[in-house]
This record gives sequence, structure tokens and C-alpha cells, in this order.
Amino acid sequence: MKSKLVRKILGGLSFTTALFVFQACYGTPQDFGADALITGVVKSKTTGLPVKGIMVSVPDYQQYLYTERDGTFSLYTVSDESCKITFRDNDAALNGTFLDKDTLLSVHPGDRVHLNIFLQEK
Amino acid sequence: MYEIIRKSLFRHLRKSETELHPLRYLFWECTSRCNLGCRHCGSDCSADSTHNDMPLADFLAALDTIESKEDDLIVVLTGGEPLMRKDIEECGREIRKRGMRWGMVSNGYLYDRQKHIALLNAGLGSLTISLDGFEDTHNWLRNNRSSFTRAGEAISIAADAPRLNFDVVTCVNKRNLHELPLLYDYLAGKGVRAWRLFTIVPIGRAANNPDLLLSDIQFQELMEFIYSKRKLKLIDVKFSCEGYVGKYELKVRDSFFFCRAGINIGSVLTDGSISACPNIDRAFSQGNIYRDNFYKVWQTEFQLFRNRSWTRTGQCAECLEYKDCQGNGLHNWHGNRENVLVCHYAKTLSSTRS
Repeated sequence: MKSKLVRKILGGLSFTTALFVFQACYGTPQDFGADALITGVVKSKTTGLPVKGIMVSVPDYQQYLYTERDGTFSLYTVSDESCKITFRDNDAALNGTFLDKDTLLSVHPGDRVHLNIFLQEK
Repeated sequence: MYEIIRKSLFRHLRKSETELHPLRYLFWECTSRCNLGCRHCGSDCSADSTHNDMPLADFLAALDTIESKEDDLIVVLTGGEPLMRKDIEECGREIRKRGMRWGMVSNGYLYDRQKHIALLNAGLGSLTISLDGFEDTHNWLRNNRSSFTRAGEAISIAADAPRLNFDVVTCVNKRNLHELPLLYDYLAGKGVRAWRLFTIVPIGRAANNPDLLLSDIQFQELMEFIYSKRKLKLIDVKFSCEGYVGKYELKVRDSFFFCRAGINIGSVLTDGSISACPNIDRAFSQGNIYRDNFYKVWQTEFQLFRNRSWTRTGQCAECLEYKDCQGNGLHNWHGNRENVLVCHYAKTLSSTRS
């Protein structure tokens, strides 16, 4: 612990972030990115059963995926004070027909958010 | 005076970091398959699909041996071409589940919008894509006539993603050196924020192709180019950490040279070998995950990497810069340890034109 502290002090005194920020020769930059994990399950409000094939999007960051057979989804996205998540039924009558739904979240770095989403059938 | 103090402090830092050797950066050579046949490739990759990828479960078992994880530990997938794996998103998600970050080095050929989104969803945080010149030059080096177009598209997609810590790397050689100023404009136009330049070390396929290697004068031109572009602060242009460059230190990168192989950087290679950077001679491997506990090897082996006194031989024996260079990057050494393959410092001094 003591040696780690000394290391940090020396790092500050040498006016460089080099101790902590570096890149291997043929590697990527390090990642200090501030993202968050959004997971959830989408169900029918009428039956309570999970819904497959719903498009879950984070439009501000052009991310999307589709719910699995058990209605679940999982994605990492940029942390954002007002992160909009949308749920769209784009597969016509396949897996039922549901109304759109939007959710606004405040997502902080490192957050793990779980959503239970109920969609109204058309 | 200011720089002398700074350099002295950095030497203490390097010593301290070497003693503690926290694992901050772990390469996983997840496949040896590749969709290109680059002339300068430092690995022995192959398009042959009979080469097996390392099963994800085997790598995860090695990861799970890490008892004391650094907060900033990143796993960097490399190859071959990582996108040749069909389970790349699953690999990333499993790494994130363990509280680690992940990144990927790619030639960009298979990196389209759909793949980009799937990788972001899986928690990709950093990405490096290679671009080795304009169309003719890049395609020549990459041995593929559409590789430039595909890499350019991938760069546009990645540069537009706020989540990604993204950079472009260029292997500078005799054919593309004169293209660098225009390439700078091209990358700036695509919104690229960071660009890292390498030279090609005579290892792997490049060992048999001296046309790829810069003369000393050309190397100095490269240093001057990087220095001039860094002053503009439009793109974070830097020279890679491949070697010690004497008077150009701090002019061509943010910090003093420090080869962290085996100190902060480890690797698991496709055959299970435990080493440091994947381009280091495999004779320096320290164990194998199919035989040894990965973390125990990291903690107790790697003496060759953490005590570099053995590099004080051959060309390095009498060098006055040894205190700061310490034998240059370890990928510049063969397993016979007789002499350093490339001395970047000497290149900064020489006036040899060949």
C-alpha cells in the first residue's frame, strides 16, 4: 500500500500521466470510458409473458439490439444524465403486436440498471 | 534542469512500477486466423481455418486465476484478426462480467456498422484499426485490393463513436513515408482523434523484406513529421513505444520511453503460452495456461522482463543512454539475447541514407 502511494506521488511530481496511461506497442489505448450496463426483460402487459424480437435502442448513441426468446436484453452504453431507451415492435405480427414505449434514465458511470418493461398490446 | 528532474523522477517511477509489476494490460491472442496476408505481419497468422482459436472457456479459466485485479486492467484481443471469431461479443461480455475492460486490434476489414453496434453492446471500450497508407500502398502492404476501402469505412464508423477510445495505427515504411502529410489530412477529415505511428521491426514476415525498413535518415524524417504535427494539437499524433529515441523523447510522445512488457503487460497466446507483448520472441514465454496457473506465473516468473541487466550486451554494452533505454523494446531481441535487432537511438544520430 505504501509503495503504491509513493508511486502515485512520484507520478504526480514527474508531471506525466505516463505511469497510469500507456499503450502497449501493438495494442489499443487503455479504456477509462464511463459506460453503464443496461439489462432488462420485456413482457406483454396483457399476458405477462416475455416478448421476443422487440427492438431496444439507445438512439442518441445509435445502439440497438433485439430481445431474446425469454424477452431479455443486455447492452453497455455511454453514461448519460438523460439516456433515452426506446422499445419498438418492428416484426409485424410475428411475436404479437405491441405499442411503442420510451424510457428516460439517468445513467452514471459504472451503473448496472435493470429494467422490467411491459408493452401494451395493440 | 526541469527535464533532468522530470527524467530522474520518471526513473524512480519506472523502478517502482517494475518492483510492483501490477498487471494492467493483458493481450489475448484469441485466434491465429486472419483474412489478410500482410507483408509486414509480426505474427505467424494464417487464413487456414484448420488453425483452432483458443476456446473462450480456456482463456476465462486463466483470467479467473487473477487474485488481485487492478481497477484499470484491460484485456486486448488480438490475433490474427479477432473478428474472424464468431463469438467475439460473447468473449467481450464475459471479460466485462469479471470487472475488466476490453479492447480490440483489428484490420477493419470485417468491421461494419452492424458489427460495431454489436461490439459496443458487448462493452467494447477501446479499438485500434490499422491503416498503412493510401489505397495503392495500403493494399500492397495488406495484400488485398479492397482492404483500404474497408479499413477507411471502419475508421469512419469508429471515429464517430463517443464511447470508444479509438486510434489508428500506421506502420511506416519506405513506400508510405511520403504519404504521411496527406494521410494526416485524410484522418483529420474522418474525425480521428489519435494516430500512432510505428516503424517495422525485422521480425515475422518483415524479416525477409528489407524494403519495408526505413533508413536512418527516413527515420529522422518520421520523427520530425510527428513532432511537427503534435504541435498542431488537432490529432494526438505519437510515435509508438517501440523504442528509445534519444533527443526526440517527449517530442514524439507524451512520456519517456518505458518498455512495460512483463511489468504491466502480459499476454496469453493462441497455444496457451504466457508471455508479454505478442510480438516478443516466443522463446521468452514464461509458462502455459494449459500447464500453469496464469497469475502465479505473472507474480513469480518474468524475471527476464523485470531485470533487464542481461540486455547490457552487444551494441548496448557501452551505450551512454542505457539508463533510459534499458535495451530498447524487448520485441527488438531474439531469444539468443546476443544483440538488439534495432537501435532506434542510433537511428536518430546516424546520417546513413541506405
